[in-house]
Amino acid sequence: MQSMGIERVESSDAELVCRVRAGDIGAYGALVSRYRDRLGRYARHMLGDREDAEEALQDSFVRAYRSLARCDDPARFGAWLYGILVNRCRTTGARAARRRRMFVRDADALQGAARADQSERLEWTDAVDRALARLAPEYREAFLLKHVEDLEYEAIAELTGAGVSALKMRVKRAREQLQRYLREAEHV
Amino acid sequence: MFEHEEDVVQRVVQQLRRPVAIDPALDARVMQAIAKPEPPARSIWPWLAAAAVLVSLIIWRPWSRSAEAESATFQFVLVAPQATSVSLVGDFNDWDPKRSPMRTANGIWATVVQLAPGRYRYAYLVNGAEWRADPGAPTVPPPDDEFGKPSSVVTVGGKGS
Repeated sequence: MQSMGIERVESSDAELVCRVRAGDIGAYGALVSRYRDRLGRYARHMLGDREDAEEALQDSFVRAYRSLARCDDPARFGAWLYGILVNRCRTTGARAARRRRMFVRDADALQGAARADQSERLEWTDAVDRALARLAPEYREAFLLKHVEDLEYEAIAELTGAGVSALKMRVKRAREQLQRYLREAEHV
Repeated sequence: MFEHEEDVVQRVVQQLRRPVAIDPALDARVMQAIAKPEPPARSIWPWLAAAAVLVSLIIWRPWSRSAEAESATFQFVLVAPQATSVSLVGDFNDWDPKRSPMRTANGIWATVVQLAPGRYRYAYLVNGAEWRADPGAPTVPPPDDEFGKPSSVVTVGGKGS
């Protein structure tokens, strides 16, 4: 049933992309606002570090804006943007690995760990972060896109360039390894 | 007793699907960044031109030619991806564009000429009208620059040089 009164009607991705292409930079702000949380979550879990994740996210938004002419299907702007972020996270992740950074415990987790009333939940949060970080990047990527971002294998294949069979194997291995790592940490 | 794998995965996924904190200022930073003009892309063409000249010099090695040789073969190369025609003109062909037309492969134009020892002024004639000096060679200093257009100079060593 439709309610009476004023309803906020959100513009579709395609409409916003067309407005941006026509010179309405402000319309891009709506796209950033629409995708920031979901993409930010992926980047954060993929990279394990808040600063790296925000840098990758910001860079992806800026790159997407500057390459908007190459977005063939404006209705699928989100998927296209995801592809840019996935690639950006790969680059940042490889760089972080070269720096041999410890990227499991970010500042939030350390701060939170001090709060006794949330200790059990934070312990679990920390254990999940650590287990996730121990996965090979391609396993972590496949697991996050499949189970956390809830994408179909075909969509993940399009984003990552990997075949569906390889992706299924990566997700399977990721699930097995997560269970093993959490068991080692005695959380399951 | 351990949890079943599916239960573990569900708990992990539930945890990972929680919202994460993103800097509220990120949106503003993005909008600020896109409002700035895009930095110009660094062109590879000058480097490619220099590399082409270097390669041609290495292949033909004009400096290692026998002092007895009366003439040597030189390859002239110009990178001009936008050009539709390029000719080599110079003292050695009476500045006649028909005598040394250049051939292209992917925007790299090249031709080969025989040069006896001596000093030659030359240039490239692009699209039949645009006169260009060789970016990989010395330019002709005034007053030798008699045509009032940019041109380059090549010196071919001979006996006793």
